[in-house]
Amino acid sequence: MTDMSSLWQHCRNELEQRLGASQFNIWIKPLVAELVDGTLQVNVPNQIFLQFIRDRHLGLIEMAAAEFCGGEPPQINLRVGAPRPASAPAAVANTSRSSTQQAAQSVGDVLATSPSAGTAAQVEKKAPRRFDASAGNHEVTRLNPLFTFDTLVTGKANQVARAAAQQVAENPGAGYNPLFVYGGVGLGKTHLVQAIGNLVHHYNPQARIRYIHAEKYVQDVVKAYQHKSFDEFKKYYHSLDLLLVDDIQFFVGKDRTQEEFFYLFNALVEGGKQIILTSDRIPREIEGLQERLTSRFSWGLSVAIEPPELEMRVAILMKKAEAEHFKLDANVAFFIAKNIRSNVRELEGALKRVLAYARFTHQAITLEAAKEALKDILAAGNRLISVENIQKTVADFYKIKVPDMHSKKRARDIARPRQVAMALTKELTQMSLPAIGEAFGGRDHTTVLYACRTIEEMRQNDSEIAHQYGVLLQMLRS
Amino acid sequence: MKQLVLDLLLPAPTNFADFVAGDNAEPLYQIGQWLIRDPHARSIYLWGEAGTGKSHLLHSAARQLGTTANLIDCRHDSLPNELPADGNLLADHVDALDEAGQIRLFDLYNTLKEGSGRFLAAGPLPPMLLPLRIDLTTRLGWGLVYQIHPLSDADKGKALKQRANLLGFELGDDLVDYLLLHASRDLPSLYRHLEAVNTVALSRKKPVTLSLLRSVMQQDQLAMDF
Repeated sequence: MTDMSSLWQHCRNELEQRLGASQFNIWIKPLVAELVDGTLQVNVPNQIFLQFIRDRHLGLIEMAAAEFCGGEPPQINLRVGAPRPASAPAAVANTSRSSTQQAAQSVGDVLATSPSAGTAAQVEKKAPRRFDASAGNHEVTRLNPLFTFDTLVTGKANQVARAAAQQVAENPGAGYNPLFVYGGVGLGKTHLVQAIGNLVHHYNPQARIRYIHAEKYVQDVVKAYQHKSFDEFKKYYHSLDLLLVDDIQFFVGKDRTQEEFFYLFNALVEGGKQIILTSDRIPREIEGLQERLTSRFSWGLSVAIEPPELEMRVAILMKKAEAEHFKLDANVAFFIAKNIRSNVRELEGALKRVLAYARFTHQAITLEAAKEALKDILAAGNRLISVENIQKTVADFYKIKVPDMHSKKRARDIARPRQVAMALTKELTQMSLPAIGEAFGGRDHTTVLYACRTIEEMRQNDSEIAHQYGVLLQMLRS
Repeated sequence: MKQLVLDLLLPAPTNFADFVAGDNAEPLYQIGQWLIRDPHARSIYLWGEAGTGKSHLLHSAARQLGTTANLIDCRHDSLPNELPADGNLLADHVDALDEAGQIRLFDLYNTLKEGSGRFLAAGPLPPMLLPLRIDLTTRLGWGLVYQIHPLSDADKGKALKQRANLLGFELGDDLVDYLLLHASRDLPSLYRHLEAVNTVALSRKKPVTLSLLRSVMQQDQLAMDF
C-alpha cells in the first residue's frame, strides 16, 4: 500500500521534470489521484480538462507509472469529479498537495464550494438562489433582495446619496420626489436605489413597487403600441406606489416614450407616489431629453455618486469576498483596489478572477497569487492613457475642439478645460511637467504647475468641478 | 496528367479536442465550468489577437451545448430580441456591434444576469479598451475576463502537425521550422499555407516536402505582390 501511495508522487515528480514547472502547475497540479479497486483513478476538474489530459499527458502518466511499478502498472482511469468519499483512506494525493488544500481550506471555504470538488449535478444544487420570491417578491418588483443598505459599502463617494436614499425609503412620496441619483457607470447607483425599494418593501409588503431599467420601459412602450394595449400599460404603471427607473438617459431621442413618461410622472407625483431615477449625469446635462422632463427631474433632490476612493474600494472588495464566504487578506484587497480604479464592476470582476485562479490552482490567495491572476488585466490597463487620449476626452466632454488644447486662447470656457486636461495628464501619466507643457502648445512647465494647483484647489471648493474631474478620471481609466 | 483536386478545405475547428491550449489552460478550464453551470463562471469574456482561438473556443462551447446554444457572430448576425432569463448567449466579435446592437447586448446581458443565464463573449481587446458604450464594457468586465495568449512556437508546431494529420499527411520538423520563420505566424495563416501546399501536393500526386512548401509560398507571395 505504501508503495502504491508513493506511486502518484513518483508520477508527479516525473511529469514535473518532463513538462516544466509552468505546464505542470497548470495541468497536473489540479489532479487528485486515488486507488479504487487496484485502479489508479485520476480525478480531473471537468470534461474539457479530461479530454486534454487524455490527449496530451496520459501517455506520460502511464510511462511514469510503468517505470515505478517495474513494467506492470495499474490501470489508469481518468474521471471528472472529486475523490470518492469512501475511498478517502486510500487516497494517494501526495503530502504537498494535501498541505496546499489545507492551506486553502483554512482561509475559508472557497475550496469547499469549489466546482472542481463536485460533479455537474452537485454544482447545480449548490448554485445560490439569486432571488427569493418569498422574501423580495422579485417577480413583481424586479428588485434584487441582495441589494440592501446593509450590503452597501458607504464612503465619501456615496454618503450623501445614501443618507438621502434612506430618508426616501423611510418616508416615500413625502419628501424628495423624485430622488435623482447620478454618477458614472458601475458605481453602485442600481444597488442604492434597489436598497430603497427593498426597505420600502420591508416596511410595507403591500406597497406596489417596480424597478425597471429605462431600456425595458422603452420596450414596454413599444409593445403597448404594437399590441394596442396602452390602457393596460397605463393602468399598471399608474397604480404603482414606488417606481424606480434606472439609466434614464436611455430615453434620449425616444419622443413617444418621453411623452408617456411625462404623464406617468405627473400622475404619480400628484398622487403622492415616489419616483426614483438614476442617470449617468445630472438632468440638465442629458441632451435629447424634453425640457419639461428635465425640469421635473430637478423638482426633488439630485444626488451624486462619485467613484469610490481607495479605502472604500478595499471595503467593497472585503464585502464582496465575505459574500462569497471568503476572508480576503487586507494586503490582497489593497493590491486589487490600488490597481483597479475605474468602477465597481471591474473591481468585482478582478476579485472574481483572483478567486477563480485560487480555485483553479488550489492555492491560498496570497499577494503573489493575486498578482499572477491579474497579470494580463494590469498589463492591459497600463498601456492605454496617453496625453492625446486625455486631450480628446476632455475636449469632447467640454464640447471644445482638440486644437483648443494647444491654442493660446485664454477665454475661460477654453482655458479651464485645458487646465483640467493638464492636471489629468499629470495624474494619469508619467510625463514630466515640461513634456506636458510641450504637449499643450509649447507652454512653460510653470504654467502646467499653476494649472494643476488651480484645479486641485477648485476640486476642494467647487463640487461641480470636483464631479466633472471625477467623471473624466473614470472615463479615462475605463 | 494533373490530378484535379476538389476545393474542399477543412472547416474551421469547433472541437475542444482540436484546441492547443498553450498558456490558456485556466480560461479553458473556466469554459468547462461554464458549460456545467458553475455559478462562479456564469459570465466569461475572452480577448486576444486575431487567430488565437477565441472563435474556436466559442464554437466548441456552442457545439457542446447543442441546439440550445445561441451563438452569434456580431459581425454578421443580429442578436436575438429576447432570451429566457435562464438561457445562454455566446457572442463573438462584440467589437463589431453598432449602437443598436450594443443596447440589445446590454439588455440581454441584464436579462441573463438577473436570472440564472450564462454569457460567453469574445473580442479583440480587454473590456475597458473596447470601442463600445461604457455601460456595456463595464458589464463585460464584471465577470471573468481572460486574455487568450498566442501559442509559443513549440505549441504552434504541435498545432500544425495536428492539422496536417487531419489533412492526411505527416508534417516534418523542417517544414514546421520553415513555416514559423517565413509565414505570418498566426494560426489561421499557418493553416492556410498547410492547406495550400496540401492541395498542390495532391494535384501533383507528390508528397508534401520542404521544397514544395517553399515554392507554393513563394508563388502565393508573388500572387499577392501583383
